[in-house]
Amino acid sequence: MKPKIAFFDFTGCEGCQLEVLNFETELVDLLNLVDIVNFREAMTERSDDYDIAFIDGAISTESDIARIKAIRDQAKILVTIGSCSSLGGVNCLKNFYPMKEVLKIVYGKDAKYYNTIPARPVSAVVPVDYSLPQCPVNRFEFINLTKALLLGKKPERPNYPVCVECKLAENGCVFDKGGTCLGPVTRAGCGAICITNGRHCWGCRGLVDEPNINSEKEILKEHGLTVEDMLKKFRIYDGWLEVSK
Amino acid sequence: MQNKIISKQDLVSFVNNLIKEKAAEEIVGVKASDGKYAFGELANASELCLDYDVTLLPPKKYFLPQKETVLKFKLGAKPSVEPVADAKSIIIIGVHPYDIKAIELCDAVYTSTNPDPNYLLKRNKATIIGVDCLNPNPKAFCPSLGTAIVESGFDLMLTDIGDSYVVAVGTGNGDKLLNKYAKTKAATDSELAQRDNQRRQALGKYKVSLNMPSSEVPGLLEASWDSPVFKEKSETCLSCGSCVMVCPTCVCFDVQDDIALTLDKGERYRQWDACMLVDFAKVATGENFRDDKEKRFRHRMYRKGMYLITRYEKPGCVGCGRCALACLAQIASPAETFNLLKEAS
Amino acid sequence: MVTQLTPKASLYLPRLAELTRVEPLAQKEKVFEFRLSDGKELGHKPGQFVEISLFGIGEAPISISSSPTKKGSFELAIRATGNVTNALHKLDKGATVGIRGPFGNGFPIDKFKNKDVLIVAGGIGLFPLRSLINYIRDNRADFGNLTVLFGCRAPVERLFCNELCTWGEYTDMEFLETVDTCDESWTGNVGVITTLFPKITFDPSNTYAVVVGPPIMYRFVIAECVKKGIPEDQIILSLERRMKCGVGKCGHCQINNVYVCQEGPVFTYAELKKLKEAV
Repeated sequence: MKPKIAFFDFTGCEGCQLEVLNFETELVDLLNLVDIVNFREAMTERSDDYDIAFIDGAISTESDIARIKAIRDQAKILVTIGSCSSLGGVNCLKNFYPMKEVLKIVYGKDAKYYNTIPARPVSAVVPVDYSLPQCPVNRFEFINLTKALLLGKKPERPNYPVCVECKLAENGCVFDKGGTCLGPVTRAGCGAICITNGRHCWGCRGLVDEPNINSEKEILKEHGLTVEDMLKKFRIYDGWLEVSK
Repeated sequence: MQNKIISKQDLVSFVNNLIKEKAAEEIVGVKASDGKYAFGELANASELCLDYDVTLLPPKKYFLPQKETVLKFKLGAKPSVEPVADAKSIIIIGVHPYDIKAIELCDAVYTSTNPDPNYLLKRNKATIIGVDCLNPNPKAFCPSLGTAIVESGFDLMLTDIGDSYVVAVGTGNGDKLLNKYAKTKAATDSELAQRDNQRRQALGKYKVSLNMPSSEVPGLLEASWDSPVFKEKSETCLSCGSCVMVCPTCVCFDVQDDIALTLDKGERYRQWDACMLVDFAKVATGENFRDDKEKRFRHRMYRKGMYLITRYEKPGCVGCGRCALACLAQIASPAETFNLLKEAS
Repeated sequence: MVTQLTPKASLYLPRLAELTRVEPLAQKEKVFEFRLSDGKELGHKPGQFVEISLFGIGEAPISISSSPTKKGSFELAIRATGNVTNALHKLDKGATVGIRGPFGNGFPIDKFKNKDVLIVAGGIGLFPLRSLINYIRDNRADFGNLTVLFGCRAPVERLFCNELCTWGEYTDMEFLETVDTCDESWTGNVGVITTLFPKITFDPSNTYAVVVGPPIMYRFVIAECVKKGIPEDQIILSLERRMKCGVGKCGHCQINNVYVCQEGPVFTYAELKKLKEAV
């Protein structure tokens, strides 16, 4: 029997589901191995009988909490895809403001009709088996994780920083060019895609297991950043770490 | 050794002839890249930069690719497996002497015992056209290690003497290439004197040096295992792997299987891996035999300054300075650590 | 040309082997018997290891548990701990795996000839030592006294139980075992493995001690052997490292300047003392 997989979206842009859909050729092969029973961006049929749940989006309302708990109860394996569900992601930026103010800014006079709670990763609410942070999710990593689960193999993630892949891509260092970068503490696996395309690392894949944050901060400071600038940099994707301390 | 002269104009023609006539399946050389320099495929001689300081990655990548398939397998009722090794003939233009020394070390590692089929196939199809490094980068310390000038390990070696290059002919293969694709003349004594002068001047441009003869480094390390230098220096280490990814004498790899989404076939590949990365010495049971950055930092220093030398009788560090240029924490230069250990001894 | 060497295309190419028998040993341990598909013998020495491939999952270094005197097939006893070993534990008879090797130096059997051999096995350290024990038993006249000490954490973790029983019954060898902890159903020795030492006698100068077990055990057992007067170059140990390629290239198993897959995994204590990160 083919395992049944389902996709569920929470607070986010749903770019992760789109990214999975972008894997057109592989999706056909994938369908030979699994049944997709829930995928809002791709199909109208719904089923609540599934083995593996892939979650994108952060938890940011009371109803999100009830819904993710129900999914956890059903799924044998729960995987978060993308930075929002895995890390909290950009949604956590609102946590640095009072919730009432956030509601007012977004909904104006209709604010009273909505509720919101500080945004959080799925793992802050229910146990998560595997996480694939990246903004949007890395579809190759999604496929590799799915293959590993089908083979009964423990899915592996690189436990080294983006610098490794950046060096392999033969990029000049962002710091050498006068910029600043979170590559030295961010988990690799993206192929240093942002730097290769002329930007810097934003940290969307979260931190490596043993990040040397102090050293990274020293380096950022040497390159002209204030403590405030640094915190802002880390906040974009890893704000949850800061507020949950 | 035979020495010839090629004018700068004729060198351009030589390289363009190599490209046009497809003298090898791949013609690569040093090109400007992202504000730095990198070895890459040449479409035209105009792309070639021979007065560069250092490339981002060493030419090792042509013999030991970052990721390389070594096996293909089929699963199912009758599983099968076959080795994969392929290579294109390649001419690499613009290899600095220290990188030639580093290639000699890679050769020793991959051919001394258990010759590596994938490495050898590629290595044996390569032609190396070197160029003397006249503009060393600020972190290089080749003269201290005897890797600034080489007398062998190349097919051809170029030295810029102004309007032309002296070409040292290292092999019959190099000679054939010149005869077939280049216009050269014999070098005069005064031109050779000019070359020696250029080399001598370049030696004066290095900003870093060892404060001891390089032959003393292994003994110094032998006596320095418990030195506090390793802990102090490694405190700011990001374990980011930059130093080891850019190193021309780092030769370690990891092996992984990849399976097709059809789950019926796949391949085994190897990819660069290195001892400065956290999980390098971790075994399946979870134990990590070099579980902190001090141990990993020390291991790398010993490997560069002692282990590779005693094992292969070749310098384990060639002083190219790439690691020191790449290290954001500014702790990676072996010269700096060896000098500190020497001062403390 | 770098060299006129003709490399073996087979350096990374496993030979196929068929799984001919699987038996559970303990909760997470099983013994697997394999036959090489080319019909050849593995040709190993006790103490050597192979790289076993499960295509699509990966490769893992595993010590060989059977004696080379057993012909036609060989055995690997394996604890399920990682990707490859977990997947192996799910295999049934008839499955195909890949085998490279044997690799490593193995135990220095030639030096053991006409000497007394004291074997100290802690937990799954018994796996490579079983190869040696059975080898010595099959060539009994070549060796002096054979003493085997085996210790594990609890009675349920005993391995090769039938063989342990027969070793205890043989008159041409001495076998003692102990467990760290137990309930009242266990009537044997209780205590760490060094508590067996006072129960045996041996001539230290004529004895080779061969010790394999978890890292923590080494420190205590080595100290005991030294205390008893066994010369340091007659204390033999086998090390676990991440032997990924098996052929001295990938660097993962390196301790100081030693490649465990090449110069090891078997070392004398005299050699290991010179290594800084070994035990």
